[in-house]
Amino acid sequence: MARILIRLNENLVSEPVVSEVILENKVLVAILAAHINSKGGEIVLEVPDEEVDKIVSAFRQKGATVTVPKLIEIDSDRCFNCGSCVALCPVEAISVTKDLSIQFNKEKCVGSVCNICVDACPARAINSVRYSNAEHMRSSSSGYREK
Amino acid sequence: MSKQDQKTRTIEEINQKIIKGDAQVLTAEEMKKLVESSGVEVAFKEVDVVTTGTFGAMCSSGALINLGHSDPPIKIQRAWLNDVEVCHPGAAVDLFIGATNSCEKKPFEYGGGHVIQELVAGNEVELRATAYGTDCYPRAAVKTTITKDDLNQFYLLNFRNCYQRYNCAINGSDETIYTYMNKLLPRMRNATFSGAGELNPLMNDPDYETIGFGTKIFLGGGQGYIIGEGTQHSPKNLNGTLMVKGDAKKMSPEFLQGAAFTRYGTSMYVGLGIPIPILNEGLVRKTAIRDTEIFTDVIDYSVMRRDRPNLRKVSYAELKSGAITVNGKRVRVSSLSSLKMAKKVAQTLKDWIDEREFTLTAPIERLPLDTVVKPMRQTQEIPFVSNVMHPVVTCMENEEIRAIAERIVTKSVNHIVVIDSSGKLLGIVTSWDITRAMAEGKKALADIETRRVITAKPDEPLESASKRMAQHNISALPVVDSDRKVLGIVTSEDVSKLLGR
Ligand code: SF4
Ligand code: SF4
Repeated sequence: MARILIRLNENLVSEPVVSEVILENKVLVAILAAHINSKGGEIVLEVPDEEVDKIVSAFRQKGATVTVPKLIEIDSDRCFNCGSCVALCPVEAISVTKDLSIQFNKEKCVGSVCNICVDACPARAINSVRYSNAEHMRSSSSGYREK
Repeated sequence: MSKQDQKTRTIEEINQKIIKGDAQVLTAEEMKKLVESSGVEVAFKEVDVVTTGTFGAMCSSGALINLGHSDPPIKIQRAWLNDVEVCHPGAAVDLFIGATNSCEKKPFEYGGGHVIQELVAGNEVELRATAYGTDCYPRAAVKTTITKDDLNQFYLLNFRNCYQRYNCAINGSDETIYTYMNKLLPRMRNATFSGAGELNPLMNDPDYETIGFGTKIFLGGGQGYIIGEGTQHSPKNLNGTLMVKGDAKKMSPEFLQGAAFTRYGTSMYVGLGIPIPILNEGLVRKTAIRDTEIFTDVIDYSVMRRDRPNLRKVSYAELKSGAITVNGKRVRVSSLSSLKMAKKVAQTLKDWIDEREFTLTAPIERLPLDTVVKPMRQTQEIPFVSNVMHPVVTCMENEEIRAIAERIVTKSVNHIVVIDSSGKLLGIVTSWDITRAMAEGKKALADIETRRVITAKPDEPLESASKRMAQHNISALPVVDSDRKVLGIVTSEDVSKLLGR
């Protein structure tokens, strides 16, 4: 699954844009987060990889701004498990295991819309990668350690 | 006296056991469990050596390199290794590369620590050097590549390592700050700490009974020696440090890693472990110390002064739990040094002794127990915000724009600070905002005031306030106290008058 960020302007928030895109394209998407008020809104969606292009252009046609956030990857060869990144993560996607290793849960990570941990890694082990490059990460359920 | 009742043992006796393969070695972690479950007497009988370890960013680390002579020979004046400028403290071809020296092309990303790591890993490193040329050293420049095998000497030489304990850092300001304690989010949204707590070598022998000049240690995956107390060694308040040296050619890149701290600079993570001979029951008690008994202070790093506010005392047990409470608020905290690697250091040292590859040395002299850290003697005072700030013209949020415009003219100021009835900061408006609002026919102050106000603190150096104005491209900062009560204002004019820019 890939995550995309939809931004709606003042005029669009009153329209059922998301439902329309889902119905017209017959694609199942999950709404991960949404902040909407009368002035505009931001919605984070999870979309199947093979449907990303279709969904992105459908939203753009309706006037929404779409960003495909990059994914975060932690390079286990570079990481020396200092733990600096752990308390920075707002969604607790990075945790410490019993044996004091760092565990990254990419399901929780919101990607480059956040990026808070990236410049805090002294080993420079945390990188933003395009979602299509990060295919291999998605095959395992709980991050790079099982890779 | 039978061996069973012996109340002390010597390093010599322990070494005999190590050589025979009979020595009982526990890591600090295992020792604490044993003392807890079986008591001091049993632990003394059963254990000969306790191994400790730490793995953290140690900025005052470096390496001494002797390159050998070129032909024709050169007396190096300036030199670079992978574009990191290094210093040449001695004669022709000796170099000292500090972990915090940084690369001219990637200043905050690559530095001396990385170069040392590459050399230790056996990689080729580019050397560039220039010189003025003398009759005995005619050469003016040299460019080549080197590996550690090409060097005559390659010694890790760290003048302040292994802090006994360290501060916990937090940021009470409204902006993210980047420090040597790493990224600190605004409004105390995270905290960082450093040090291995109960695994730290000096914490397990806090009177430096067995750790001293000449003690053989684990250093960077190889063996090294303590060559003295570290700089800023401050034993009375449990802030001891060590100066160490070891043959870097025999070290491992796993235990010596270059590091980069955004907007601070480069450093190096060093693995350091010390074996503690259990010579008496007192040392059993000392090595039984737990994280619950080791305390440090939570320090607000947003205050740009030498003495920063101390918010509370906290134990390493709380720090390692992942969250602490500061001012009634839960703050997530993470370690800067690797506890996993600290354990690995202690375990590796234990394995070496078990495998008879490492014996103990008695210190030839003890570390000082009474030195104190003095502040710098400064012959010139630097200005602070409180030296130049002046009274501010204020208004309330419900005032009409016209009234405020009049005040700007009569008081001839460019900034008006919006406050609430208790004098706390709400926003700021400039004469430009007012002029534009009048032109556009706006009436309500709320529509034009800036609410995200960048502020200054009275005890902050003027220099840093000035930097912040430049960064945000603004010309004044309201000065507020810790409750955001407005005390005055400092403007770019004040700064240029005093600092002449
Ligand atoms: S990018 Fe943000 S959400 Fe993802 S791991 Fe880093 S801090 Fe957490
Ligand atoms: S900050 Fe970097 S090195 Fe430290 S635990 Fe996180 S990913 Fe690993």
